[in-house]
Amino acid sequence: MSLPADEPVMLDVSPDLFEELYEHAPCGYLSTDADGRIVRANQTFAAWIGRSRDALLGTSLPELLAVGSQLFYETRYQPVLQLQGEVREAAFTFLHADGTALSALVNSTKVEAANDRAAEIRIAVFDSTQRRDYERELLNARRAAELSETRVRVLQEASRAFGASATEEVLALALADTMRRAFSATTSAVLILDAEGSLELVAGTYPLHGILPTDDRTPELVAVGDAQLVLIAQRSADSFAALDQAMLSARVGALCAAPLVVDGLAVGAVITTFARPRDFDPDFIELQETLARQAAQTLSRLRLQRELVRLALYDPLTGLASRVLVERSLEHAFASSRRNGRGVALMLVDLDGFKAVNDELGHSTGDAVLKEVAARLSEIVREDDVVGRFGGDEFLVVCQDVDESAAMLVADRIVAAMHPDFDSVASGIRITVSVGVGYYLPTNGPAPTSETLFRVADAAMYASKDAGKDRVTIERL
Amino acid sequence: MIDEIAEATGVVRRNNVHVTGNPDGRPLLFAHGFGCSQEMWRHVAPHFADEYKVVLFDHVGAGGSDLSAYDSGKYDSLDGYAQDIVEILDALDLRDVVYIGHSVSAMMGVLASTIDPTRFGALVLVGPSARYVNDGTYVGGFEQADIDALLDSLDANYLGWSSAIAPVIMGNGDRPELGEELATSFCLVDPAIARQFARVTFLSDNRGDLALVTRPTLVVQASNDVIAPLAVGEFVHENIAGSTLVVLSTTGHIPNLSGPDELVRAIRAWLG
Repeated sequence: MSLPADEPVMLDVSPDLFEELYEHAPCGYLSTDADGRIVRANQTFAAWIGRSRDALLGTSLPELLAVGSQLFYETRYQPVLQLQGEVREAAFTFLHADGTALSALVNSTKVEAANDRAAEIRIAVFDSTQRRDYERELLNARRAAELSETRVRVLQEASRAFGASATEEVLALALADTMRRAFSATTSAVLILDAEGSLELVAGTYPLHGILPTDDRTPELVAVGDAQLVLIAQRSADSFAALDQAMLSARVGALCAAPLVVDGLAVGAVITTFARPRDFDPDFIELQETLARQAAQTLSRLRLQRELVRLALYDPLTGLASRVLVERSLEHAFASSRRNGRGVALMLVDLDGFKAVNDELGHSTGDAVLKEVAARLSEIVREDDVVGRFGGDEFLVVCQDVDESAAMLVADRIVAAMHPDFDSVASGIRITVSVGVGYYLPTNGPAPTSETLFRVADAAMYASKDAGKDRVTIERL
Repeated sequence: MIDEIAEATGVVRRNNVHVTGNPDGRPLLFAHGFGCSQEMWRHVAPHFADEYKVVLFDHVGAGGSDLSAYDSGKYDSLDGYAQDIVEILDALDLRDVVYIGHSVSAMMGVLASTIDPTRFGALVLVGPSARYVNDGTYVGGFEQADIDALLDSLDANYLGWSSAIAPVIMGNGDRPELGEELATSFCLVDPAIARQFARVTFLSDNRGDLALVTRPTLVVQASNDVIAPLAVGEFVHENIAGSTLVVLSTTGHIPNLSGPDELVRAIRAWLG
């Protein structure tokens, strides 16, 4: 049924009933002036918070709120109310006169001043105490879920980024990046011990690096020295003065240094800094340690791989190229030769009389002789020549871009280089070498396989032996 | 040159910068506080438009700022926000700026003016606090537990937020009506960011930075401000050499909304 719009709707109620509806409504009603002072309140609200209506009138609304709600009232509720004219479902905690808390949802409407009436705020308050415990549980569950979700995501991303790192530098960058994001850190950096034992900045930013004097009390050195997490939650005059000063000037409020431990030894540290003081809780510490440990495991793997590669490519005794590396350089030399038409020489250098040294003076003297031979060879070859050892007492030299006379010159120098006595190793040792040179010049035909050149050089070396040792024989291809 | 323009455009978009008023006037930069956006200044800024160049912006995470620019490491201290302010001044190439910062933005202005004093002509700090949490004999007005209670209060108020509204904010809204609603709602903030911003705001300690201010400074304080009580404003005033303190009769923490005309008069009178 519709009524004509201009006809007033007559309700069959008395003013007393209106008052009854207002005073004892199933929700609290409040009105405040524009400054938030209460000008009206119904009985329901007065009863809920245990105060008389007289006591409420003139009271500023925020004074009835718990502190957390006061902060929300001033920073959020007020601006929205003033700008938007209304606020729906603001969650507030009122304080009952007896000190207990009343959780409430509040709807507010701003009514502008009109005629003889001042502007006011009308507020309906709904008791939500019954929801409070449920909401608190919900909130705690959500926070816990978010925390663990974040943690899992950080660890997954870290493990992916670390795993994809092919070098220490890439790993350091990934670690610094992960740390900064995982902890909302202002800066993060990875420092690794170099050969001299000082910590070198490999990735990221560490604002105290270079400002702090070299001192074994710096957080990074303590972390590495003790292989322990170092936490500095705030600046303190109690720590050493230079650190306090450096933190002040670099605007660092807190920092954490986590050691990177590889095979039981701290080889570096990852450092996160924060512009404000921090409370480092157990979750923070655990995640720092976990990420540092993960990165250290990858670092360990990378170093092991590097060591294996080194072992495969270099002779452990002399540090000279291994067979693998010599063959690679030979291939490289052939390729270069194809491009520029210049020659390639492979020299086999066999020690004369080495077996006697080994038998009579022992293996350690033998090893020392081999090292000395390696040193002399490395000394006299040309800069780009590759010197290798095939085990035993056989050495090799690969010369690329070389003409025949230059190759002979190198080979003659090798023979001559062994003539000075080996007194630095043991007195009375005389060592000579028989050298066989396999020489290839592209104008003489297509490149041989490295195997062929090896065979030719080997034959030349035996020719030197047969001709009385301590000399050079060259075979051309 | 092209790079500079691109960078400036980026900053303007990131911080939702709006320039109005007299293009030849002295620049006024208005910075909003925690809990709202540049709309905080809607009853104040227009009063200056005839005489001054008026610049408004949103902090990253608030209003129409670019949420994707939010870096929780950068914005874990006021330094990150101060850096943005300097970048805005650089992008617009503003000098002799009168910086007007409300609440937490007051301290951001203090920091920004020490990063690059050449851009700043004067500072107007509205309801500033150098530290909200009591410390020894220093009275900030709050205890750590109060700040935790605020975080609880934020959570309680944003309980329904993330499921319904976050998708719209993230730009993949399949509920366009929510987007429209948001477009007309005020003081837009991202709850997750608001949480961190609350921590940064209320747990910062910038007492040591006040002495570094070299620009003429006006400290404006409202009456009965529970967030920044009179003693807190007086501390700021006493520690910035040569500053002026004005106490307004309007009450509460937001004189820019509760008493905009009185605030405008106070700023005008001081600027001369």
